[in-house]
Amino acid sequence: MTRVVLSERLVPNIFHLVVDAPDIARSARPGQFVMVIPDETGERVPINLADWDKNQGTIDLIFMNLGVSTRKLARFKTGDSLQAVVGPLGRPAEIGSFGHVLLVGGCYGLAGLYPLAREFKQKGNKVTFLAEGRDEAFIFWEDKIRKVSDDFQQVLRADCFASGHDLGRIIGQIKEASQELSRVVVMGCSYLLFIVSNITRELNLKTMVNLNPIMIDGTGMCGACRVTVNGQTHFACVDGPEFDGHGVDWTEYFNRRRAFLRQEELALAGYLNKTLD
Amino acid sequence: MSRDEILEPGLRERLARQREQEWRKTLRQAVPARNRLEIPRHKMPEQPPDQRAGNFLEVNLGYSLDIAREEAQRCLDCGDPGCVSGCPVAIDIPTFIKYIEAGEIDLALATIRETNGLPAICGRVCPQEVQCEKHCNLIKARKESVAIGHLERFAADYVRRHDQAVTESACGPATGEKIAIIGSGPAGLTAAADLARLGYQVTIFEGLHLPGGVLTYGIPEFRLPRSILNQEIDFICSLGVEIKTNFLVGRTATLSDLSQAGYRAFFIGTGAGLPSFMNVPGENLSGVCSANEYLTRVNLMKAARFPEYDTPVPVVKKAAVIGGGNVAMDSVRTALRLGAREATIYYRRSRVEMPARVEEVKHAEEEGIKFNFLTVPVRYLGDDKGKLNGIVLQRLTLGEPDASGRRRPVPVPGSEFEVEAELAVVAIGQSPNPLLIRQVDGLNLGRWGNVEVNPSTMATSLEGIYAGGDAVRGGATVILAMGDGRRAARAIDQWLTKC
Ligand SMILES: Cc1cc2nc3c(=O)[nH]c(=O)nc-3n(C[C@H](O)[C@H](O)[C@H](O)COP(=O)(O)OP(=O)(O)OC[C@H]3O[C@@H](n4cnc5c(N)ncnc54)[C@H](O)[C@@H]3O)c2cc1C
Ligand SMILES: Cc1cc2nc3c(=O)[nH]c(=O)nc-3n(C[C@H](O)[C@H](O)[C@H](O)COP(=O)(O)OP(=O)(O)OC[C@H]3O[C@@H](n4cnc5c(N)ncnc54)[C@H](O)[C@@H]3O)c2cc1C
Ligand code: SF4
Ligand code: SF4
Ligand code: FES
Repeated sequence: MTRVVLSERLVPNIFHLVVDAPDIARSARPGQFVMVIPDETGERVPINLADWDKNQGTIDLIFMNLGVSTRKLARFKTGDSLQAVVGPLGRPAEIGSFGHVLLVGGCYGLAGLYPLAREFKQKGNKVTFLAEGRDEAFIFWEDKIRKVSDDFQQVLRADCFASGHDLGRIIGQIKEASQELSRVVVMGCSYLLFIVSNITRELNLKTMVNLNPIMIDGTGMCGACRVTVNGQTHFACVDGPEFDGHGVDWTEYFNRRRAFLRQEELALAGYLNKTLD
Repeated sequence: MSRDEILEPGLRERLARQREQEWRKTLRQAVPARNRLEIPRHKMPEQPPDQRAGNFLEVNLGYSLDIAREEAQRCLDCGDPGCVSGCPVAIDIPTFIKYIEAGEIDLALATIRETNGLPAICGRVCPQEVQCEKHCNLIKARKESVAIGHLERFAADYVRRHDQAVTESACGPATGEKIAIIGSGPAGLTAAADLARLGYQVTIFEGLHLPGGVLTYGIPEFRLPRSILNQEIDFICSLGVEIKTNFLVGRTATLSDLSQAGYRAFFIGTGAGLPSFMNVPGENLSGVCSANEYLTRVNLMKAARFPEYDTPVPVVKKAAVIGGGNVAMDSVRTALRLGAREATIYYRRSRVEMPARVEEVKHAEEEGIKFNFLTVPVRYLGDDKGKLNGIVLQRLTLGEPDASGRRRPVPVPGSEFEVEAELAVVAIGQSPNPLLIRQVDGLNLGRWGNVEVNPSTMATSLEGIYAGGDAVRGGATVILAMGDGRRAARAIDQWLTKC
């Protein structure tokens, strides 16, 4: 069992848990994730490491309310215990001295990118952080992120994100203003990863995306997380989750992510019925 | 290997000494061998096929005491018992069987436990027909072998059911030295139990949230009920072994972290968890999965009870399973139990080459599983949403024998045909999980990514690091993994005593 030391709602649909996990805190690297099992009947849910504190022995998890598992997690209060947390999993993000990097985060991805920003900065890079959200009310951790980046910008869906047009224009402008911009890293919902990859392909900007395929064990044992990148099958939980966004077979990726949609909706309806009475 | 190499030194004498005890002589003489040979082998009582195909309860129901004692009477208590040389851990089979005949079931179990820490499990999952039972002397007399596996299982279950708690105290002096076992499959569990008995402070690190390895996530409950496994694991914990689950060595901590934390020796029993795929077109359609994924959903995550449990599993009318081993049989029978109207095995060789246990194939057939031999998928077909809806297969014929001695399948040109399937489970093999072993500098690996060891000590190329089970052998068996764990424990003890 893993104790929750802090539980809070950050924005309407995004929650923050700090949990006791000294072994994970000691080994964590930016870009890695953990598997969380909320309770006895729970599934294994992959969640990025948003932050960690080696001295306190805690890790920070930030997640968006979606289906049963994330809603279950949102109900955990300070002092409660999660069934299990294991990690850190996945390869750490590739963090070199690239000059100028652009980090694009949407919804919970803002949090997962925070440790990358911090380490990119430490390695002497110039860091531009672009936060994408439905509107102002869905952006969180701005102060925290500003401390580890040179420039913080927002792109709000409320201002017409649907076409991908705004995001495209902003990234284009950032690139134009900086000779040095050589790399983009994206985290968040699948659609954002896809859109940004399309934009930067045109701009010829190397782009790493953090894929979120369906996972079971997260240790390389099942292959549920298969993704095709540059024609090769990879297990995202051990070969990733960071991959070259321009090489991803997006059609396959979206199809595989939807494999259990009907069951997930059914479970969610059942869960909502149960938790509402 | 010659028989004497297989038998441990001194075992022959010990077998003979046991056999010469008074009670054994009396028992032997009570029924003439001629009469013993007349008794037919006792069938394992089982759930009827149409009933069991709809549930996950154990298929085999187990012998009653009377049946077990009668079956034990069939054993001739041979002076030169072939059976023992067929058992990879050299259980004193005649002694334990004669104890059953005499009704001393707890002594029978104690005899088994001298060399086998997981009798309830081996009695259920060992491929007896190619091990102990294959070498039973009754076969030379043109009779069916003694049902050694069923009797082994009986002894373990009976003692447990009658609450004759098996207790044991550490036999060696407590050395207090810390040893880390990585992986809680049969190899790790066995090494841990033996080292704890020798007085070491043993911690097992397990990446998943439950211990047991393949016994937990792979082998279904209808073959190995979870309660049986849990009791065996509890027994090992009662020896003082600590199991740390949710701890993936190589990620949560490295071997050198553990070494700094005071662990003096290591046993790598990380198994062969990496599923193989065939790299044919369409293999990443949704609806195509590895057997590990399918079985893990059902066994580890309890997906058969979705939505009470949160992990889903594909529920389909037509399921195809590619492969012919135990993993394939377990997958196809699971699909049937989850409601598939048609669950079919597609195997690239013929029936006789199937590596699955004979009992599993028989059970599968009785349950209505279809078998399509000498076929191999060449392409998976999907709908416009990327969901599997069919498989193109090719027919094969058997050509010359290959390195394994089995005849090599050769494709028949122009023989492609199409079948409908909404689920395809790929069960064509696994290789050693690379996560930890590729990370350790200086650890020699073999051609298949397996850890190289000295087979008599299980020592790797690095001092103080030992390995065994599927991490060394690729996909093998429970009992071989256990034998490795035992040999490694002995060698670790010798090494630590020396230095
Ligand atoms: C490596 C990795 C790291 C991750 N890190 C985080 C993280 O830090 N924080 C976080 O919140 N999530 C993270 N995720 C995603 C997270 O694991 C999933 O959101 C979570 O498993 C959802 O579980 P659930 O039961 O709540 O929802 P599910 O039951 O899986 O889905 C619920 C419902 O959401 C809808 N839905 C499903 N997929 C989508 C989609 N792509 N877009 C819109 N709606 C959809 C469907 O209607 C479905 O019924 C990560 C995933 C991976 C692989
Ligand atoms: C479906 C199926 C059916 C089978 N049926 C039979 C049968 O009927 N009879 C038979 O004899 N054999 C059978 N086998 C084979 C048998 O189960 C294996 O040979 C045996 O389990 C190998 O034991 P092991 O201890 O080496 O590894 P495993 O049982 O594979 O256990 C390895 C453990 O190590 C853990 N691990 C891996 N890496 C790490 C790490 N870095 N840190 C921490 N933990 C880690 C894994 O999570 C796992 O729990 C079957 C196998 C399968 C898959
Ligand atoms: S452990 Fe396996 S091989 Fe040995 S006697 Fe038991 S069933 Fe036979
Ligand atoms: S070989 Fe067969 S008959 Fe002889 S002791 Fe072994 S089990 Fe009994
Ligand atoms: S989640 Fe199982 S291999 Fe990646």
